[in-house]
Parts: sequence; structure tokens; C-alpha cells
Amino acid sequence: MSTGKEESRWNSLVEECFRREAGSQTSLPEPAQDLIETGVLDSMGWVSFLRALESASGLNDLGAQLTERTPSLENVLRALREGPAQRTFLEAPRSQAQRESTPASVILTSSCAALGSRTIPSEEIDRAFGMPPGKLRLRAGIESLAYAAEDENEVVLGARAAQQTLRSAACGPQELDWIIATSETHHGYPSLSALLHSQLLARETCGALDVGGACLGLLNGFAVAQALMASGKARTIAVVTADVHSRIFLPGTVAGEFGGLFGDGASAFLLKSAIGPASQQVYGLGDFFFGSAGQYAAAISVTHAPDGVLGVHFDGEALSRAAITKLEKVILDVELRSGIARSSAQGLATHQPNPRLVTLLAKQLGLPQEKFPVVARTFGNLGSSTCGVALDAILQSARDCQPGARAPIFLASLGPGLLFGGGWLFPA
Amino acid sequence: MTKLLITEITRMGPAFCVIGLQRDKDKIHSVRPVSATANSWLYFPYHRGDVLHCDLAPFAGAKPHIEDRVSTRGFQKESDVPEPEVVAYLRKAEVANSLPDLFDCVLHENKHGSGLFAKPVDPKRSICGTETRNLRLELCANELRATLALSSGEVLRDLPVVDHDWRSFIEAALAEHRGANRVGRLERFLNSQFHYKILSCPHHFIRLGLTRPYHDLCWLMLDTLFPLPNPEWLEEF
Repeated sequence: MSTGKEESRWNSLVEECFRREAGSQTSLPEPAQDLIETGVLDSMGWVSFLRALESASGLNDLGAQLTERTPSLENVLRALREGPAQRTFLEAPRSQAQRESTPASVILTSSCAALGSRTIPSEEIDRAFGMPPGKLRLRAGIESLAYAAEDENEVVLGARAAQQTLRSAACGPQELDWIIATSETHHGYPSLSALLHSQLLARETCGALDVGGACLGLLNGFAVAQALMASGKARTIAVVTADVHSRIFLPGTVAGEFGGLFGDGASAFLLKSAIGPASQQVYGLGDFFFGSAGQYAAAISVTHAPDGVLGVHFDGEALSRAAITKLEKVILDVELRSGIARSSAQGLATHQPNPRLVTLLAKQLGLPQEKFPVVARTFGNLGSSTCGVALDAILQSARDCQPGARAPIFLASLGPGLLFGGGWLFPA
Repeated sequence: MTKLLITEITRMGPAFCVIGLQRDKDKIHSVRPVSATANSWLYFPYHRGDVLHCDLAPFAGAKPHIEDRVSTRGFQKESDVPEPEVVAYLRKAEVANSLPDLFDCVLHENKHGSGLFAKPVDPKRSICGTETRNLRLELCANELRATLALSSGEVLRDLPVVDHDWRSFIEAALAEHRGANRVGRLERFLNSQFHYKILSCPHHFIRLGLTRPYHDLCWLMLDTLFPLPNPEWLEEF
């Protein structure tokens, strides 16, 4: 129900936008008058007027709501009063208590992964980095790597994943309120989120935001998206990861024991705000938590030297120990915070520095290895996309489950620092 | 006698605008046959891909519609060419890959609402083909609008779609006999299968045009979208 103050605000917005389109001296037509039929505006002017109103009011689907209605000011005002968007945009901010009483308001409706289209056997990478053939397979457990083809980069892979994700949900890019992107390899400007915004043809008023965190980027993105939705400022958000390591970690610039571990890939997730029961077989976002264990900071650092050479400091032994320790702790914390036994999880979408560490982590946690999707073994360490590709694989397998048989999904990842984060999804 | 390959039939209100390609020695360029009394046709019984014989006055129209030629006699159909071949010819006619090259002039953004426009004296032509990286259609208050990314990466938003076949397809999709929730079903189609059908088509191509001066501005519009809609798609949603 709209208040008198809101009504007055809409009236003045409509009047202002109409005069901008029709001319400042134009008198306001009768409320029910067909603006196109009577020649007050032509069809282009009518749409232009509505776009101005959408922009001024923040009600981005106003035009869509007026399809199959007479183009009149009366109908515009009715759409402003009754439109579904109005409920989220114009309602008073919810109190803390109200927010806590309606948890799980963010759902993940669809996902997709896109991998570099060249599959390279790990022995070929061994040779390229001057290592004995078989080293990556025997020491790290990597059988092959996904490398980007010549015409693929972070934007191409990210856009491919995002477009498929939108298509699966029959969600038009014009519905997006934000695109949140993360990558540990795209460092140029326009940023990845801006380029994806153009590639996807999102609305001009859709925000584009890049979050960091390297391999932790996906979880950072989810947390930011969740917060935007909780604030009522967004209803539909795409979170995209994309990493192309094969153009950065080149033989001669980094040691093969490090550079040879990485592949190229992307993932995308469509998040929507949901109040009330979900209508699809979707997952809800649970809580996320984060931190930084500075005592492990020296285990890995990547810097750009003034001469352009990549400075990688990588203590393999220390990093492996730190990774196992922290990932195990994060997963135990997820278990504690969610009250969900790790053994009952549908799967664990974790960072996978290399396959050997995944095996070790599964053993430490007393979980079957099948709970961890195969990512690093066949595609390599995909940076921020490792967790994304793993999560997509679990979500795909959950879609084949009988109704009611789906289980929660655990997320845990790490980034240099040593940043860490965890969270969970649950069947909505 | 001029031989014209009909490549565009656009519709705004009740009138049709027609554009064809004419071969002039090694070059192919666009020609817009108009009647002696109006810039558009209320009845035009031919289709895209039709090859027509006609008599056109040799003088060009006023800027930027330099492609206008007055038709002095009726049209006679000689043959027709399939859609992919029409696009192959269009790719040999006026083509540009970036915003300033489309009409060889600066295009301005509407600061108060939506759309792009040129001042009538600036453009060097009123029609141009281009490749797109991405394209989407949406319905806004009964009007079909396109947003697209050129191969240069520049994004053009909210262009009115005046392609006769696409407008007819949308009208057919929204026809009352198609049952409930027609708008929702159409939007679902435009947001899912449509995207794949269009962008995966090897002869995906568009032509952008400028309106005749209206309040001293020529507005950018999507004249033609290939592939043309297939009536069988209506069964899919």
C-alpha cells in the first residue's frame, strides 16, 4: 500500500520525466489518454519516457510491466504503485530483527563452468618447463590441464559461463542488478566486471564490481552479493570467476613446480533474492565467514617487478602444510556453524591447490574422495575458478537427485595472505 | 531498368520502408525505393530475398537519406535468393565495425531518456551493416527494443526494432489465441533459446538505420536482424 508521500513523489517523477521527453511547455495529458494514439508521444518517445522513469525511480522493470497495457500516464502510475519491483525499492528499510527473522533470502538458481578448450597432457607441461616427464603426474597428481585457446581469455570464458547460466535460468541480462567478477589473472582496465557487463549487454544501471582474494574470490563474491541483497538494493546478481594462468605462468618466468600446476577456466552463478518458499530445485546461501592467517603469509607471494618479470615466492612444503591445516579448520568451522555433519554434505567445493592435497584433505577429514569433485586432476589449479568449477559440478550432480535427496554443500577456500573463508549452501 | 535485391522491409506504424541492394560495376550499395508522394509504402507485396525489376529516378534523396530513389513504375519480380545469400551480399555493401564508422559521423546519446541520434547534416548515409558480438531483444511497454555489442566492443542500448518480420513474429507470439501468460512466455524465449538461435547462426548479421529527421534529430534503429524469425519457433514457447 503506497503512502500519500510516495504517491506525491511518483506524480512529480512522472511529470518531470514526461516534460523532459515531450517538452517543458507541454501540458500534462489526461490520465487515461493514449499517448501514442493521440500523438502526444511517438513510440520512441514513449519508451524513452519510460526509460527515464526507470532510471529516476530505480524500478528497472517498469517498461516490462506496461506490456499489453495502454500507453497512458494512468497506467504508468498504476505500474509504479503495483509493480513487484516497488515492493523492494520503496519499502522502508527492514530492521535488524526483521532481517534476522527472514533468513535464507538469497538463492542460487543456476550455474555453469567454462574451461579452456585445449586439453594438454601434464607430460607436455613437464617438458615445457624443463622438468622430467611425469613429474606433475607423479608428484602432484595432475593428469592434464585445461589451457585457453588463442581466441580465449578471461572475458571470453567468463562471458561464456555467464551466458549459459543466464540462459539456463531463462533470465535476461537486463534483469541483473550487479555483476560481481573475480580473477587472479585479469589485471587490466576496463576491469573484468566492466568487460563482462558489455559482453552480456547488461542494463546500463546494472553495477559492475570486481572483488579480489585470488583463490578465495568466489566466496568473497558470494558474501558481497549476499550483503547487497540483504540491504534490499539488489534482487538479481551474477557472480563470475575467470582465470587464464597459461599466459602468465610461462616457462622461464616461474618454476615448473609452481607454474605447471595451473590451468584456465571460469564459472558463473546466478543469485536471486527470494522471500517465501522457492519455486524451483535451487540452493539457498547460508552464512559465510572469513579471516586471514598472517603467520603463513611468507608461504606464497606474487609480485610484479619493475622490469615486468613476475616475482613468485613459493615455499611448496610450507604452503601445503598451511593449506591442509587451514582448509581442514575452515571445513570443521562450517560444520560447527551450520550444524550440518560434513559426512552428510552433497559435496565439498574447496580450493584444490593440487590433487594430492585434495586426497590428503579428504583423508584428514575422514571423507570419501568422491565428495570432492575432480577439478585439479584434469584441469589444473584454476585459481578463483577452482572452487567455482567444483561447486558447479556438485550442483549439476544434485540436479539428478530425487526430490528431497539433495544435501547441503560446503565451501572452503584460501588465498595468499593466508586468507581463508568458508560457508555453505542448503537445498531451498 | 534497375535490378534490386530486397534486403530490408521495416515497419513503423502502418507504413513500410523498403531497402534493396543494387550492383554498380564492382560495388554493391543500398537503394531505398520510395514513391513519388511518400517515403514509405502502405502496401508492399514482396519479401526479403526477392529480386525485383523497377525503374528508379537517378537522383539521390536529402541527407542523410542519400539512398532514396523515386520509383517511377511498378515492381516486377524476377527471382529470389535464400537468406544466407542475402546476408552474403549485405556483407559486401555498406559495413562498419565501430560506432563512428557506422554513418561516418558522431552519434549522440539521449541524455534525458534512451536511444542514440545523429544531427541530420552529419551522417554520410542512413543505413549500414555490422557484425555483433552479442545481441538481446526485450519488450518494453509493447515496443520491441534491441541492445547489442558491436565487434569493436561498443554497446548500443535500447534501439527500436523496426524489422517487419521480427515485429510480426512478436505480434504473433502475443496473439490472444496463444493462451495465458503470453508476455512471460515470450520473454522466457527471448532470454533463453532466442539467444542461442541467433548468435549461433552463421549468417547472423544486422543493419542499422537512421530515422528521417524528427524534431531535427535522426534516431538510430535496428532495421534488420538476420536470421529472420522462423514461425516454427512459436511452437517452442
